[in-house]
Amino acid sequence: MFIRTKTHPFGRQFSTGTVRILLIGLYTLYPLGCILQLVPMSSGEGVVSSLVGLGLVVASLVIVTVLAGSSLQRQTQEPEAVLDERELGERNRAAFQAHSVFSGIVLIGVLYMMLTTDMAANDKLHLWRPSTGAHWNAIFGGLILLSFTLPGAIIAFGKSKAEID
Amino acid sequence: MIHNRLSVFRAERGLSRKDLAEAVGVNPQTIGYLERGDYAPSVELALKLAALFEVPVEQLFSLKPFAPLALSLRDQES
Repeated sequence: MFIRTKTHPFGRQFSTGTVRILLIGLYTLYPLGCILQLVPMSSGEGVVSSLVGLGLVVASLVIVTVLAGSSLQRQTQEPEAVLDERELGERNRAAFQAHSVFSGIVLIGVLYMMLTTDMAANDKLHLWRPSTGAHWNAIFGGLILLSFTLPGAIIAFGKSKAEID
Repeated sequence: MIHNRLSVFRAERGLSRKDLAEAVGVNPQTIGYLERGDYAPSVELALKLAALFEVPVEQLFSLKPFAPLALSLRDQES
């Protein structure tokens, strides 16, 4: 997902530090917002924390919109023909690493679900598991955001100090 | 690491990074990466740059560090 505007056809140029802060904000605010929003719903109380949670989720979506218009996101989403050899090389390495990280996260999630289901069935231990549509929506929403932003995050966090300066 | 004299040649020609990038078909940021030695160019890009500055490619890129310009000039004079 790359948002191209008439004023910034190649995306907005943010410093690597700014992009890193935005990404840390996104990866912190979204899960925190989901937890605050969904936990009270299951216990039937805590309207304030639910609203705060909703606010954090909205803030994380604003961050995604800002990142979607950045030159870094352009590098991860543009067709090959419009990128130069350095950008393509960086993108290919980032895509490979993002695939490994994403697969690992999904694998850990599946293993967790398998173990918690198994333990709950044997009445050994009752750990949290997604049980409502809202829980699953939050998880899938998070995975979609992660898949959009992970290659760019790997490029941004992979830059050396010399490259940032 | 590949060493280069790209910034020297570019300054001599009075080209901006953007001008040079457009001339060889890359992003201006890539010229910055090349000049800092953070990126090793492909053979095609190295040859394009050498052709643009009308020098053999080994005068522009080297596996060994280039001698400082002042030292080269002093050696020529003596």
